Amino acid sequence: MTEGISPGRLRVLFALFAVATLLLSLRVGYWQTIGRSALLTGAEDQLRSDLVVEAQRGVIRDRTGAVLATTVDLRSLYAIPKRIPDRAEAAAKLAPILATPAATIRAALDSGAEWLYLKRRLPEPVARAVEALAIPGLGFEAEPKRLYPNDNVGAHVLGFVNDDGVGQYGVEGAYDTVLRGVPGRLTVERDPKDRELAVGLRTAVPAKNGADLVLTIDLVVQTAAERALRQAMEREKAPSGSIIVLDPRDGAILALASWPTFDPSRVAAADPEALRDRAVSWTFEPGSTMKAVTIAAGIDKHVVTPTTTYDDKGYAVIGGRRLNNAQGKVYGTTTVTQILERSANAGAVFVASKLGQDPLYQYLRAFGFGDATGVDLAAEATGAVRPLAQWYPVDVGTIAFGQGIAITPLQLAMAYAAIANGGTLYRPYVVAATRGADGEHRTVPVAVRSPITPETADTLRTMLVSSVDRGISHGASLTGYTVAGKTGTAQIPSDDGRYVDDAYVSSFAGFAPASDPRFVAVVVLERPQSKLLGTVTAMNTFHDLALDVLRNARIQPDRP
Amino acid sequence: MRRPFPARPRGGHATLRRRQGAGTTWEVRTFLIVSAAICALFLLVVLYLSQATAVATRGYETQRLEQVRDELRRQNALLAVESARLDSPARIETEARRLGLVRAAAVQVVQAEPIAAKR
Repeated sequence: MTEGISPGRLRVLFALFAVATLLLSLRVGYWQTIGRSALLTGAEDQLRSDLVVEAQRGVIRDRTGAVLATTVDLRSLYAIPKRIPDRAEAAAKLAPILATPAATIRAALDSGAEWLYLKRRLPEPVARAVEALAIPGLGFEAEPKRLYPNDNVGAHVLGFVNDDGVGQYGVEGAYDTVLRGVPGRLTVERDPKDRELAVGLRTAVPAKNGADLVLTIDLVVQTAAERALRQAMEREKAPSGSIIVLDPRDGAILALASWPTFDPSRVAAADPEALRDRAVSWTFEPGSTMKAVTIAAGIDKHVVTPTTTYDDKGYAVIGGRRLNNAQGKVYGTTTVTQILERSANAGAVFVASKLGQDPLYQYLRAFGFGDATGVDLAAEATGAVRPLAQWYPVDVGTIAFGQGIAITPLQLAMAYAAIANGGTLYRPYVVAATRGADGEHRTVPVAVRSPITPETADTLRTMLVSSVDRGISHGASLTGYTVAGKTGTAQIPSDDGRYVDDAYVSSFAGFAPASDPRFVAVVVLERPQSKLLGTVTAMNTFHDLALDVLRNARIQPDRP
Repeated sequence: MRRPFPARPRGGHATLRRRQGAGTTWEVRTFLIVSAAICALFLLVVLYLSQATAVATRGYETQRLEQVRDELRRQNALLAVESARLDSPARIETEARRLGLVRAAAVQVVQAEPIAAKR
């Protein structure tokens, strides 16, 4: 057969084969040597998957173990439109379940996207209903969601977690690194069906889950505080307010309520002003609740006693300025105890004058005013106590009854806690313990300093009980319990350095049972509709709340 | 002259047969050994493949069970949230109001010490 082929042609054919073989050999040699790593990388990319294993965010519980915040994987619904046989029918079936117009779903499916989320983090019943439809081209993907089973109860203590999984405000913000944990990595080889190969490569760096937090908050007290605050807000049509309940024996915060409030699960819909924790981040001029601090300083410095008297003319002159009693009332001969009972501004000026501006300033600072309390919550305000060099002579008088000084409700609560517990100023705290992989770490209460002696504190307690039993704070009294407390009504400073006309901040600070104080509560209402009578609402709010706290804690009555 | 009988070979046919028998035995033995080796190799390969298949199958089964476990954990977490929601004091208060219940105006507290002192 080859007789007809010339040797020349055979040589050419041979040469072509030889060249082709050589080229193929060189190519194979190249892929086996120089290009080997690229081939291997390509193969590994097809086979291996390198995943970030998200750490589980820690659970937040109250002091009794009730869940306040937890993270659960919810199912997100995605669609691959090309695989849906009838998009119009699918949209019509999904619309009532997802509570979304069919046209909106249809538009999403017809958008040209190869893959898209139809709705993320569905409630489980909704996900099940969609699953039951068994529509081809629809699928679920689990995504973590922070859930708050008590809705907006404790919202300002808890804060929230944003879409990026970062905690903001409250303990979610302050303890974000503790709660978040450390993500891990998982490298596995997968088959074409995306299943892990049992005999393939598997390297894993396990995720370190976030620690759980146990708060000092008592869910029952917190609920009672928020109910009481909401009722006061509705009654007074006040724009904002706050309530703090804490244990004076160690500074543990039992409840912290702020109004306006928000639902931590639906932060996007919240008014930005509602996110502000007014118990910690807002300052106000306290008014007459500060008289207890002024008198504590006077007694501790031995310049007055509870029975020291002065002649009340209805006003006091200091620094060339005349400072009047509320509504111009004249009380005549008045004891220091009666200054608290009658809330006499002239009496507070009398005590401050005897004390002097330097000691008054030192006592204010010792009680913690002008400094952050150090509470373990985000965005705490320090308040403002002007340096002595900036004081006018009249400031000794005005600050004595709580004007010309800016404090937070929490600072006021801590000052009253110091009076209640025998003279020790504690650092307030909301996290009682962290529970992680390395065990439980409990928070040790921190005594910051002792602004007054135990004897002074004891005297003040008696005087504040008298203020409730015989004074204008009588609305706070409780059958069977000794209650100590003081009302406060303060004008609101405006931007031009004056005070706003006919607008006030009403407050009440007190504790019970006064013989062995178990809680301190501060109620603050901003701009109550009833103006000066807003104090009555604050006092009644304290009364209702105190009743709930005492019942819940099973505290035995201390008076017949 | 009488032709002598050809000399009888030593061993004769018996030796040849033995030799032939020995050759057959060697071939058979070789055949058997090679066959056995091939069979053993085949069995080893089958054993390996069956083991590898079993491991892969178990791996897929493990994954399936892990998914079941994860789903059960998820359901458990959802139930814990639902339980916490139902236990919420705010929800209980709302339900109580809906049922027409009212808060107790006063709680009678009996002091134990005076009673104990009289006994």
